[in-house]
Amino acid sequence: MKICLCILACLLCLVLGAGIGSLTISPREIFQILTGRLEGVKASILMSIRIPRVLMAFLVGAALSASGTVMQSVLRNPLASSYTLGVSSGASLLAAVTMLTGFSLLGAFTLPCMGFAGGLFTVFLAMGVTARLDSSMENQTIILCGMVLSLFVNAILTVLTALSGKYLDQLIFWQMGSFSAQTYVNCAIMGIILLAGTVVLASRGTEMDLMTFGEEQAQAAGVDLKKEKLLLIALSALLTGAAVSFAGVVGFVDLIAPHVTRRIFGARHRLIVPMSAFIGGGFMVVADLAARTLLSPRELPVGAVTALIGAPFFAWIYFHKRGGDA
Amino acid sequence: MLQLSGVSAGYQGKDVLFDISASFEPGVNYCLLGPNGCGKTTLLRAIARLIDYRGSISWNGTDLKKMSRREIAGHIAVMCQNSGSSFSYSVYDAVMLGRYARMKRTLFSGPGEKDREAVRNCLERTNLWELRKRPIDQLSGGQRQRVFLAQALAQDPDVILLDEPANHLDMRHQIDLVDSLHAWTADGSHSVIGVFHDIDLALRFSENMLFLKDGKLLAQGPFAQAANRQFLQNVFEMDVVGYMQASRRKWDEVS
Repeated sequence: MKICLCILACLLCLVLGAGIGSLTISPREIFQILTGRLEGVKASILMSIRIPRVLMAFLVGAALSASGTVMQSVLRNPLASSYTLGVSSGASLLAAVTMLTGFSLLGAFTLPCMGFAGGLFTVFLAMGVTARLDSSMENQTIILCGMVLSLFVNAILTVLTALSGKYLDQLIFWQMGSFSAQTYVNCAIMGIILLAGTVVLASRGTEMDLMTFGEEQAQAAGVDLKKEKLLLIALSALLTGAAVSFAGVVGFVDLIAPHVTRRIFGARHRLIVPMSAFIGGGFMVVADLAARTLLSPRELPVGAVTALIGAPFFAWIYFHKRGGDA
Repeated sequence: MLQLSGVSAGYQGKDVLFDISASFEPGVNYCLLGPNGCGKTTLLRAIARLIDYRGSISWNGTDLKKMSRREIAGHIAVMCQNSGSSFSYSVYDAVMLGRYARMKRTLFSGPGEKDREAVRNCLERTNLWELRKRPIDQLSGGQRQRVFLAQALAQDPDVILLDEPANHLDMRHQIDLVDSLHAWTADGSHSVIGVFHDIDLALRFSENMLFLKDGKLLAQGPFAQAANRQFLQNVFEMDVVGYMQASRRKWDEVS
């Protein structure tokens, strides 16, 4: 019941996102265009600009949220996310390098692959450093290392941006996150990665459930912890890496969506991983809608919009949790 | 039968447990006793294969190091100690997680009829069936302890390991826990190995004692044989018997 409502709400977000803009297209018109019964300016705007954009916003939001949910559980920290582990910074650095050098070995897959590689590399670097510092691999140490690494990588990115000359605007805008100028090919690639990633992640639901009870407890219950942890972190890095390479850095969705989802759907990962993808996707579409309509015709970076909503939310969670514990 | 021979273990290259040999029979409960830092918890963690050890630990002749996590979990369960999950699971879902090692393994396999039946059974035994829909973070300490017990029972192991299971429970709940464990081992095929601080509670739990000090196993066997006044004085560095007798005199005065 809740699941149906949630998916319906996401569809509504998608229709609204596609319909509202400098030129409003009514849901009826959208339906007519999609079934090929209406043509003209509205049709071409919808098909070539709005739909790819809205679709990409949804996919990116969904990927970030699913990966955020997993990170929170694997690291047993409600404030953990792909950002805290440096996944996004690593992904953005390599994606930026790809954009600057024009490197394209794998065609359309170059950017997401580089993003993934960058994200994964930073995570493993963070975990490698952690292993050196603390042989029991405490999650707090992982998070701390990730944060430090993430700041460091961001600094490199800033230097790179400052020196990049004619790409400066492009890079800065990308770092703030944007869903403009997307193609159906991009959407398809992102969609495939999202679907595969989410399915595998959801299939590890019971393992994640057990991990939230503590790592030793999970092992004692029969979970092959090292293997599962590696798989889960690598998959989240893949999802975040791909999302970052297509849309730039959009923060806070991966923090907000999992919390909202847990509040509505409880704690079981088999359910909340896919549902947080839906909620995160829907939220991202609305955030993007706000980004391009609030100060129209000027467009705000969507990362700023999510952060404006997300930062107070983050604080609320933090203090709410502490209040609840006391 | 769980058999330890020459087990040494420690952390960061420094041993805290030296050359422990012991065997644990089905149908018998065991208490691990000793002062703080004597290696009791480390021994439990080695038996559950949560830390590395030298020497050998085997279950019915098979070395634990040759078994997968899942296989070990089929024989040995560790009863959860701390406050539990960072997220809010229902009692039912939490106990169902104990079935992990017993569930069939396919990509989307969920709990089967057998698992649901086992969970219902464990919930009824621990008087939790009425509370099954409650989130565990809203339970009292005693109820939560019962959830963790049910979780361990749902794993359907041969041995349950307990590390100071009662240290934040009031007396009635301590006794309840000990009694439920007795009920579980009464069929003669299960056993519990527990670390206890409270010697009185340990005695109520089982007469079979293993005394550890400074990482070495000093004595094992039935309480009256393994321990005497001088021995307990050595292990705990105080006159345990004198202390207990002094308490006893005060209790005798209570009408």
